[in-house]
Amino acid sequence: MENLLSEGFTLMIFGMGFVFVFLTLLVFATGGMSKFVAKYAPEPAPQPAKPRAAAAPSKAGGSNDELVAVLTAAVHKYRSK
Amino acid sequence: MDKLLELWQASGLYNMGFGQLVMIAVGLLLLFLAIRKNFEPLLLVPIGFGGIMANIPEAGLAFSAVENAVHFAQPEVMKHLAEVLGIASTDPHDVAHAYHGANATVHAAAANAAMDHGYNNGMLYNFYSIAIASGAAPLLIFMGVGAMTDFGPLLANPKTLFLGAAAQFGIFATVLGAVLLSTLGIMDFSIQDAAAIGIIGGADGPTAIYVASMLAPHLLGAIAVAAYSYMALVPMIQPPIMRALTTEEERKISMVQLRHITKTEKIMFPILLLILVALLLPDAAPLLGMFCFGNLMRECGVVDRLSDTAQNALINIVTIFLGLSVGSKLSADKFLDVETLGILVLGIVAFGIGTACGVLMAKAMNRMQGGNAINPLIGSAGVSAVPMAARVSNKLGLEANPQNFLLMHAMGPNVAGVIGSAVAAGVMIKFVG
Repeated sequence: MENLLSEGFTLMIFGMGFVFVFLTLLVFATGGMSKFVAKYAPEPAPQPAKPRAAAAPSKAGGSNDELVAVLTAAVHKYRSK
Repeated sequence: MDKLLELWQASGLYNMGFGQLVMIAVGLLLLFLAIRKNFEPLLLVPIGFGGIMANIPEAGLAFSAVENAVHFAQPEVMKHLAEVLGIASTDPHDVAHAYHGANATVHAAAANAAMDHGYNNGMLYNFYSIAIASGAAPLLIFMGVGAMTDFGPLLANPKTLFLGAAAQFGIFATVLGAVLLSTLGIMDFSIQDAAAIGIIGGADGPTAIYVASMLAPHLLGAIAVAAYSYMALVPMIQPPIMRALTTEEERKISMVQLRHITKTEKIMFPILLLILVALLLPDAAPLLGMFCFGNLMRECGVVDRLSDTAQNALINIVTIFLGLSVGSKLSADKFLDVETLGILVLGIVAFGIGTACGVLMAKAMNRMQGGNAINPLIGSAGVSAVPMAARVSNKLGLEANPQNFLLMHAMGPNVAGVIGSAVAAGVMIKFVG
């Protein structure tokens, strides 16, 4: 019975110790990986996003102008009838 | 008249034992909790229903062919089984005892002998051997959980992994508690039983079932029911502990927004984790391997169909079989025992200690970083129970400061808790398996 208790203690010390060692290593490995990625493979995402954002309103503006022109013409035609 | 008597003697009513009646009531209680109170309904509905089916008298749905043969105890069958098992007595009790103590070769021979006499495995027994005894169902669920998990918050703040580690103390403290109960002679748990009970404190259903199926299959029903019930009770168990251990000022701390995580990092993380597991703890490889696989499918972006199946259709199918299989372990002779009571009590203690350790660790980390960087409320999310534990942290944070949204910060320790409890499970299997 005493043996069982000491087995429990051993399991607790080793188990908890191992969980901490493993997750500590994971913290360092993750940090290292993030630095590595930031240095050698930075995300190109922000760059394509800008021109698209800039292009979008002008395009929309263009079609808007066109729409206004068409509508004006239609109203003119209707009134002149 | 004879036929009528025969029909009556074959009826469930005539054969109903007291234990079976109680277990059917337990099954109905689980159904009530699931349907009316919304306690983990996805699991408790199949578990409760499986439990009722397992206790239908004479149907023997949860028994193997040999157990069914022993139950009906026809003399010529008993004689044949005794011969196969190599014992002299043909008493059903002795045969059952010899069968449970036999090795795999003799087991198979006895099963074949019983089948020769026309006895078959019960339906739930078959489900159990395919889904749980083989380890398949908990691992497939883990794959689905991996496919649903976003490691973004964890990658943005890897230090939250320490919170996931601290919260695992509940597991090991409970192992010690269970062993202490045995030493004092109150209960009778072996070190394997104690390890399987402790895992309840990880608040992770599939991990608890996986470990229990490997270390203590006879306790699986009680452990699974305890694990899932306490997961449903997270919003009630955790807040009092969290309030007791933190001050009002600490609860008001708002944390800086998390940085953006690139896709490359998210793809590399599961591979990194797998390599680390392979190098350090191969015993955790089944659990964490499937978890990483599911997560890689999610993040890599080229197998969306597989990822979608893993986190929806497949996990639902597996959940049905897992629930019914766990229910099959709710038979009266295995569940109605003082040990079940011990498991329920130890489980909630495990849970409480885990929560407290997570919060205390977060407090310590906060002090080390100047006292205004980490809100200790996120520490309690270190027990896995994704995403309920994180939601509880968020709710308590909002109570203290209505502008304080901790949900994303708490998801970091929450998924760290999943990894931590899987590592703890690997250690248990390694040391006492």
